[in-house]
Amino acid sequence: MINYLKSENYRLLHKKSIYMTSGICLFLITSAALVLYFFQQSDSNFPYGTSIFLYSNVISSGIIIMIVGFLFNTALTGKDASVMKQAVSFGISRNTIFWSKLIVTLSYFLLLCLIGLILVIGLGESLFVSEEASIRNFVAASFNMLPIALGGFVMIHALKMLKVSDIYIIIFLFFLLIFSGDLLRWLLGSFSQLNEFYQYAPSTLLNDNLMSFMDQSAQFDFRFWVTGIVISLVFLAIGMMRFTNKNID
Amino acid sequence: MDPIIQTHQLTKIFKEEEVIKPLDFSLQKGEICALIGKNGAGKSTIFKMLAGQIIPTAGDIHLFGKSGNEKAQAQKRMAFMIESPEFFPDFTAVQNLEYFRIQRGVVEKKRIYEVLKLVGLGEQKKKRFGDYSMGMKQRLGIALCLLSSPDCLVLDEPVNGLDAEGIMEIRKLLLKLNQENQITILVSSHILTELQLVATRFVFIRNGVIVEDLSKKDLDEKSRKQIKMKVDDTAKAAQLLEQAYADVQYKVLPDKIITIQNHIEEGGEINRLLINNGVLVMEFKMEALNLEEYFLGIVEGAAQ
Repeated sequence: MINYLKSENYRLLHKKSIYMTSGICLFLITSAALVLYFFQQSDSNFPYGTSIFLYSNVISSGIIIMIVGFLFNTALTGKDASVMKQAVSFGISRNTIFWSKLIVTLSYFLLLCLIGLILVIGLGESLFVSEEASIRNFVAASFNMLPIALGGFVMIHALKMLKVSDIYIIIFLFFLLIFSGDLLRWLLGSFSQLNEFYQYAPSTLLNDNLMSFMDQSAQFDFRFWVTGIVISLVFLAIGMMRFTNKNID
Repeated sequence: MDPIIQTHQLTKIFKEEEVIKPLDFSLQKGEICALIGKNGAGKSTIFKMLAGQIIPTAGDIHLFGKSGNEKAQAQKRMAFMIESPEFFPDFTAVQNLEYFRIQRGVVEKKRIYEVLKLVGLGEQKKKRFGDYSMGMKQRLGIALCLLSSPDCLVLDEPVNGLDAEGIMEIRKLLLKLNQENQITILVSSHILTELQLVATRFVFIRNGVIVEDLSKKDLDEKSRKQIKMKVDDTAKAAQLLEQAYADVQYKVLPDKIITIQNHIEEGGEINRLLINNGVLVMEFKMEALNLEEYFLGIVEGAAQ
């Protein structure tokens, strides 16, 4: 598995798209902060020139973060994934392939998230007036988003490995992160035992997280981890079972 | 000694169609075995099952005597090139081979340059794979096969897209690998005359079934002759042949020509049979077959 991990790492580090995606993400974060700073400087009544507003843009960007995750995962599971048939014929197991591609792409995705987080905090604290407890709130809210992002990434990976079309994956992602709460509330609303279940839906959790952050009351919430772990385990199980028995030719 | 490859009742069913019927096959060390069959006969499916790319519906595969979980280790002593070779189009030949060198745990980086030189890509090593011609892609596929110094090569259409010079080079390379490095080879190709020049064994496959398995000596023996006749009425001649010889293998060709692949020794009787029944035999001769004609005789002729 180590050799396969190393080879996938070699492949990823030689992909221009990874550097471009990372560069664009960091550029957009910096640009957003600079635009807010510019307006704050030119208009003293500009209400959004605050670090809280900058941070809130990150907390409300779950879907964008997952699309970046999708692009990172696609780097090793996209069209040229057909090359994996060479690995299979060399006796490398499907499990190794499945896990290696997940580990490598997830590692770089998390690294980019960390760099982005540090950049946002750096820009927020250096360009705008630091507000009390805003960093603590931002870190807590970001930490709550982590399991949902992990679950979403695992879902993307499992579906990509099963060759589900990109458009369906994006639609599924939108559903999960934007509409899942409303749908669960509508479906389970009439069942007294289950009518609170929607509170564990990713979209509900992300909305709650944003509200808590805006109230400056964000704190660790186990519901994010329950949902993130359940999504991850379900898609890992589906992905592994289906991929292990899949023809790769 | 264990065979390099051994299958027992290997079967593949795709959407209720049995594309490979229970297949028993073995490949011994040192052989160059040609797997011959029409498109759709099941050659690539067999190769893909051996490579683990598609999962058999039933049956066992033993590689170097190993099966089950141990088979993966044995696969590391083999190299497969099935259908078109797949590489990263934006990588150069060297980068592509470097990716596989890391993956296969080949220690020495200079091995990349050795195999590229061996297949004649030494000059194009910095070119992107996406810019390669079909023939160059095939050569890179063979280079990848050789990268990990395997004991057995499984090559599906290795000379596909190569020019005459390239085909000759690959033929020489395969013979050299077999004779000097004792590499066992299982190969398929549509260029049967090439197979005849390299293979030591010929396995004919039709509709997922091995219909004939011959050594080179046997093939030379069996393909030595066929009866070729030009008659005025091919339909009547065919009917007479079928009535007289239930197992007759014949082919009706254009220009009123019939070829008969068996009952060669009864040529005189066949001639007399046709003439006595009013079929005018304008030409009658025994002729030798090459592999192509022999293949057509057993694969297509049997279908008639």
